[in-house]
Amino acid sequence: MIEYLSPLWISLKTVLLTTAITFVLGIAAARWISRYSGKLKALIDGAFILPLVLPPTVVGLGLLLLFGKHGPIGQLLSPLGMTVVFSWPATVISATVMAFPLMYMTTKGAFEQVDSNIEDAARTLGASEWKVLRTITLPLAWPGVVAGSILCFARSLGEFGATLMLAGNIAGKTTTIPVAIYFAIQAGDMSQALYLTAIVLFIAFASLAALAYFKKPGKQIRSKSRTSWDATSNATGKQEGYD
Amino acid sequence: MLEVNIKRKVPGFNLDVTFSVDGEMLGILGPSGSGKTMTLQCIAGLLRPDQGLIKLNNKVLFDSSEQVSLQAQARKVGFVFQNYALFPHLSTIENIAYGMRNCQRQEIFERVQTLIDKMKLEGLQNRYPRQLSAGQQQRVAIARALATEPEVLLLDEPFSALDSMVKKQLELEVMKLQQFYSGNIILVTHDLAEAYRLCSALAIYESGKVVQFDQKQKVISSPVNKQVARITRCTNFMDGIIAEIRDSSVWVMVPDLGINLKVVANDHRNMLVNQAVTIGVRPEYIRIAQGPGQNILLSPLDSVVESIATINCYFCLDTVSGGRYYLETIFPKSDAQLLSNGQKYYLYLPPEHITIISD
Repeated sequence: MIEYLSPLWISLKTVLLTTAITFVLGIAAARWISRYSGKLKALIDGAFILPLVLPPTVVGLGLLLLFGKHGPIGQLLSPLGMTVVFSWPATVISATVMAFPLMYMTTKGAFEQVDSNIEDAARTLGASEWKVLRTITLPLAWPGVVAGSILCFARSLGEFGATLMLAGNIAGKTTTIPVAIYFAIQAGDMSQALYLTAIVLFIAFASLAALAYFKKPGKQIRSKSRTSWDATSNATGKQEGYD
Repeated sequence: MLEVNIKRKVPGFNLDVTFSVDGEMLGILGPSGSGKTMTLQCIAGLLRPDQGLIKLNNKVLFDSSEQVSLQAQARKVGFVFQNYALFPHLSTIENIAYGMRNCQRQEIFERVQTLIDKMKLEGLQNRYPRQLSAGQQQRVAIARALATEPEVLLLDEPFSALDSMVKKQLELEVMKLQQFYSGNIILVTHDLAEAYRLCSALAIYESGKVVQFDQKQKVISSPVNKQVARITRCTNFMDGIIAEIRDSSVWVMVPDLGINLKVVANDHRNMLVNQAVTIGVRPEYIRIAQGPGQNILLSPLDSVVESIATINCYFCLDTVSGGRYYLETIFPKSDAQLLSNGQKYYLYLPPEHITIISD
């Protein structure tokens, strides 16, 4: 039973960390590219999306070349006693690279939908770029940001090709659910394959439900704006309605 | 005191403007696409001019020669956007308090309350922008901009999205704004009447240039060129030649109509006898006379357009060259009741209300 649970545990760790990393990186990259207007904009934008259009095995091979013993990053890390290839962090790296474009694209689209006058209004009121992002852009783009995160979550849960190339299949260490299913079928262990498939189905439905719940624009926006102002001015203006 | 002297080039458009405001309300008037909003964005620090100087109360906001360009956050410029740009996820009170920093909660609350009283927003504190009418949104936007105590307030076409009833009301409120806000105000608009009612000085824009910057009465009475005259609704133009200059009067021969018009021109230093000029007569100054005389034309009434308070009459004159010249007049309703189409009338063009335009 324990060995049955091991891929689930590894996958969950990988997926949660990957989602957190892509959440931050995706927002940062989307924000930066929306405000950047240099000549290289199209090129950088394309580079960010590249892993989405390349076959995962090609991305995996690229990562292997980067992080391998003779690769530029591998050579940097080896004096520190760190090897990425065939280690657990490799599952996170490959899943992050594969999921990042989804977060980046969705968030960038959501940011572009925000009326730039509203952000400019905040700037003329003295808000720093960080405050504008935190209090205006992110709350207004929130449904898109949530959608991007959930797509990232799903994409990294299903990540197979690049992970297999970079992290391999080391039981209890790098074997994620999709890798485990593949090797279970190879070994003719149908019951483990079906068992893991059931788990994946459950997680997939749960994330779709979460997507549907959080994408309602009112959700986050309402709860965010419940500040203490309401307490001080409860006496007036509670009536609903339009005029 | 706000001094602006900036240039900014974008493909197909060249902004090059100079004007100043000193504790009053300046109206920037011009057709859409003439660079009005771009000017405001440059003042607010949302766009960067290519070169020039922007100075607000002795503080340099932008100076290309010194490589100075303050960020929008540090400029103390209040901006009311055309679409108000309220924060849709924040309530009225949170919108107004957004820009208040470095002060105690109690102080913020008191200042927000003051603005709510002044802008008549009582009872709407906890509404979200989508629950407010356009006029209410406008007032929230002004209150929000005033909350940071800006040294200049920029209003970008503030009344363009409002129906005429609400517009009148808000115009009055903007006028009253000057009683408690002592800073500079710039109002961008394409509505001459609105700008004239609210502002003391006008800057007339035409494709990125300030063609005239003056007190409003001066802009109306002596437009510098035909474009300005047209923008200020001076509709009757005639081409003429200066025939005589004597004391403060100038006689202009209009060959096409075969008439010699007397014009009162106190400043005729730049005028010469035999110089070709254009003269303009505002339609509201033309009056019906009883008989022939100086500056009086005999002309049949061609058509009548009735407005609520006035009547516009178009008189048709035959020109010497065989064409037709239409003269527009605006009469108060009471005076125009008895006019009938086709009948000839004597029209008096008052010498003190004829403008000589040199170009």
